[in-house]
Amino acid sequence: MVLTSTFTPRNFREQSEKACHDATLRAVLDHATRYFMGKRGVALEAFADRDTHFARARAARLTALSRLPDLLEQLEQRATAAGTKVHWAHDAAQAREIVAGIARGCGAKVVVKGKSMVTEEIALNPALEADGIEVWETDLGEFIVQLAEEPPSHIIAPCIHKSRADVAALFREKLGLAGLSGQEDLEDSASIPELTLLARRALREKFLAADLGVTGVNIAVAETGSVILVENEGNIRMSTTCPPVHVAIMSLEKVAASLEDAADILRVLPRSATGQKMSSYVSVLTGPRRSGELDGARETHLVILDNGRSEILADAVLREALLCFRCGACLNSCPVYQTIGGHAYGSVYSGPIGTLLSSLLLPAKDTRDLPFGCTLCGACKKTCPLGIDHPKLMLRLRERVCAGSPGLASAAHTFLALHPLAYRLVMGAARAVDPHLNLLPRLPGLPSGLASFVDSRQPPELKKPFTAQLRNARKKRGGA
Amino acid sequence: MMSVDARQRILDTLRAGLATAPLTVPAPPARPASLPVGPDAWALLAEVLAPLDVRVRLAKTPAEAANHVADIARERGAQSYARWEHMPPALDMDDALAGLSRVLPDCCQTLAHVDIGLTFAQAALIDSGSLVLVAGRERPRAVSLLPPTHVCLVPRSALAPDVSALPELLRAHADASPSLPAGKLPSCLNLVTGPSSTADIELVLVRGVHGPGALDIVGLDWDI
Repeated sequence: MVLTSTFTPRNFREQSEKACHDATLRAVLDHATRYFMGKRGVALEAFADRDTHFARARAARLTALSRLPDLLEQLEQRATAAGTKVHWAHDAAQAREIVAGIARGCGAKVVVKGKSMVTEEIALNPALEADGIEVWETDLGEFIVQLAEEPPSHIIAPCIHKSRADVAALFREKLGLAGLSGQEDLEDSASIPELTLLARRALREKFLAADLGVTGVNIAVAETGSVILVENEGNIRMSTTCPPVHVAIMSLEKVAASLEDAADILRVLPRSATGQKMSSYVSVLTGPRRSGELDGARETHLVILDNGRSEILADAVLREALLCFRCGACLNSCPVYQTIGGHAYGSVYSGPIGTLLSSLLLPAKDTRDLPFGCTLCGACKKTCPLGIDHPKLMLRLRERVCAGSPGLASAAHTFLALHPLAYRLVMGAARAVDPHLNLLPRLPGLPSGLASFVDSRQPPELKKPFTAQLRNARKKRGGA
Repeated sequence: MMSVDARQRILDTLRAGLATAPLTVPAPPARPASLPVGPDAWALLAEVLAPLDVRVRLAKTPAEAANHVADIARERGAQSYARWEHMPPALDMDDALAGLSRVLPDCCQTLAHVDIGLTFAQAALIDSGSLVLVAGRERPRAVSLLPPTHVCLVPRSALAPDVSALPELLRAHADASPSLPAGKLPSCLNLVTGPSSTADIELVLVRGVHGPGALDIVGLDWDI
């Protein structure tokens, strides 16, 4: 995974601290998470046989993982037979190179993109822009964060942190847009439908001019070689219908064995994401347009991206994270996400599932703090329609972070606990030199395991011993 | 070359992972039976679509259907339309829309300037209110996408209970293929559920962000 902004998971603590003090952000998050939870709650209340459908969706995802290598080979074979060119990318750099190569091959000058987390993950836009290509995010929320040069802050609502006045300012300053009539200036007070219509007009031109459409994949069907894309705006349909070439990029776990499994997933995904019985548009795409058809891409590509995921399959606990189909419900239910929002996590994926994915896909040294940004309250687990046990995975990740020499740390602790004099000496010295224990990780000769153990925790300030406090209080009373 | 290596490496890692920690999937509970499509199907479809601002008009005869389509065009103030060629011969939509100019859906550029796109659903899912549109030779995808109003004709025979009907629908439209056991599926099938919508700015719902802001359905309530 590549980080595209100044936010980084390395600074998770500082970023979350800062976010906690941002009153505007708190208000926005409160409104947004309640909005999504409310809609979802109503939809799930009315969802007949809900638990059975959840169990079937989970089984469809589990089946995919249990047969992943075979299904990917089948997907490759069937998609190829349907006329799609299949590519494999071991990491983000390979994926970028593949897409850039396709873009060069078709002489692309303008690229339109459907909303896709995985293209954020591989930082595709800068790579294409470096080749002199104009790249347009076309999901309204993604378009806005692209103009603001920020990462998305929510899986399904990328710009919940922006107000209408922010959006008007961006349209005015970055796109030079005027008001609807084209005469007056675009005021900060422009209405949301007006702003949406302005974006529609601006992006419509790009869709019609585009040489290449790039999207993610919600489900790839191994049995038929199809990709399924789910959306509400129509930008993904536009990106796959208007430009002559379509590239779909999938993280490799997004496969489903059969159309039936895909249908079981489609029954649950929109309800859990936005409380809709079905998203406005679901496209099932199989190969390029056939002879005699008037529209649709003439050339279709499917990029299968690993980027660290295949390694996770060997861990029976952590691989549960690969079940996720990105409905975003765990974000909205999470008290930490509700407080700090998406950016503080410093990576493309935020909230409970984001913590898990980032910790698994990014270098360990960059994500040490992430699994500790969790209260283990279990709201995510309760919310997840696929039954992912996030807290269990969090604990596993914490174990991993703190692994090294746990034996040594506990041995030292045991010794001090059994020897009161040694304990007092050590604590007294520590209190005098370093009451906040800031230097502890840098102690010379400290084993690396112990160093990482203490570095990943912020211990409370060392207080004076109770007996000393009592003595002081007596002295004061005596003196008065 | 690079991607060939990547392929092998990925597959090897996945196989090694499953060998280290085998994964067995417990049998899931049976899929709940779909509700039968009964005489109240149109009412149910209208009910599920009402919150999406989609109106379902019922026609008992081709003439009634033509009247509905003409009404919709008038209400939307449309000047032009494009339509799928693929329509039952009994439905003379060109006659119904005689006052409007007909544009051939050659390409997206042309369709971007058309007021109404007229399609004929291959199925409609009652549970979610989804129209099923299968793209093909006389059924271009962009007709239901670029014009600001999408009008869809839904024959009674197309009513289906829910999304579990999707696999069968796809297979029914597949072409025989030597290398594909299930046949080669159509290049594109769209489920269309209500108008194009977004709530990306301040979570305020707006219809018609990229696709049509208006969707009108005319139910053809006779045996076609």
